[in-house]
Amino acid sequence: MIQPQTHLNVADNSGARELMCIRIIGASNRRYAHIGDVIVAVIKDAVPNMPLERSEVVRAVIVRTCKELKRDNGMIIRYDDNAAVVIDQEGNPKGTRVFGAIARELRQINFTKIVSLAPEVS
Amino acid sequence: MAASLHTRFSASSLISSHDLCHLSPHANGWKSSHMPASYKLGRTIQRSLRGSSVVSPMALAANASQDTDDMYDDLFKKYGKVVYKSSDQKSPTAEVDDDAECLSFAVALAKIASDVKAADIKLLFVKPLVYWTKFFLITTAFSRPQIDAIRNRINDLAEKQYGKFATGDTKANSWTLLDFGDVVVHIFLPEQREIYNLEEFYANATPIELPFENEQRFGR
Repeated sequence: MIQPQTHLNVADNSGARELMCIRIIGASNRRYAHIGDVIVAVIKDAVPNMPLERSEVVRAVIVRTCKELKRDNGMIIRYDDNAAVVIDQEGNPKGTRVFGAIARELRQINFTKIVSLAPEVS
Repeated sequence: MAASLHTRFSASSLISSHDLCHLSPHANGWKSSHMPASYKLGRTIQRSLRGSSVVSPMALAANASQDTDDMYDDLFKKYGKVVYKSSDQKSPTAEVDDDAECLSFAVALAKIASDVKAADIKLLFVKPLVYWTKFFLITTAFSRPQIDAIRNRINDLAEKQYGKFATGDTKANSWTLLDFGDVVVHIFLPEQREIYNLEEFYANATPIELPFENEQRFGR
């Protein structure tokens, strides 16, 4: 359940370390974003000497949430942090490697690129 | 010993508290329960195992874990039974057939890519590394119209001959991905291939020899 003002970790090596959500892409008045949703975020903390800098506005897709993700077979997945992967306008990830576990729901939402870079798909 | 024990130590049996009362040497059953129940259970197991060839876990102090593992393996072999088996596990022959089918599909796609003059086609068998797919087909195209051409031809072949539809990118992209379920096709522009370097990430996957001329790019 990510909403504007939520701080998220960055799960890739794009250069950003922490993002703050500004807006949820999709319907105009959506309250919360979940795993697989694209958000607009501002970079609050960045690694030095990388292409992405602090206070840049980027798009990101949410890959982990502390709010449970329910599957149709009854399985419930809950992560320990909120994390996102920075993407560009075409939907390609800006970083080259992704860290941490990625939910396999991202494959159905056409983010197979992130899944193919993931070390662990849960 | 008042009662000789015929309780066989099966994998599913539990020694109930009722049995414990009978097994205790005191006449008044519950008065003896000031001893901790686990201690009594241990003594009971030792008595019940006295006649059998299995050594009780309580007797082993030093190398407990290895011997208890062996003991449990023994017990499972003798008395254990399968209660539930997941139904989507295929037999080994069916799996190999599936893999062979996907392999032929992937090789057909690779052939198309080489017809359109895509460079550096690599087919990786990633099933041992990754559970969600079997083959990765990685190729380089040099312009967006070429990527469009590869994409359209691959989609046509997949639909007509194999009846498979791709999810993934619908327009050309610097990294275009086509997801056929068991086979995932990655089409890169040359710079993107260097940047993302998927072959390095999947270096442990077995590459598969392609039966046609593969144009290798110089200076890689």
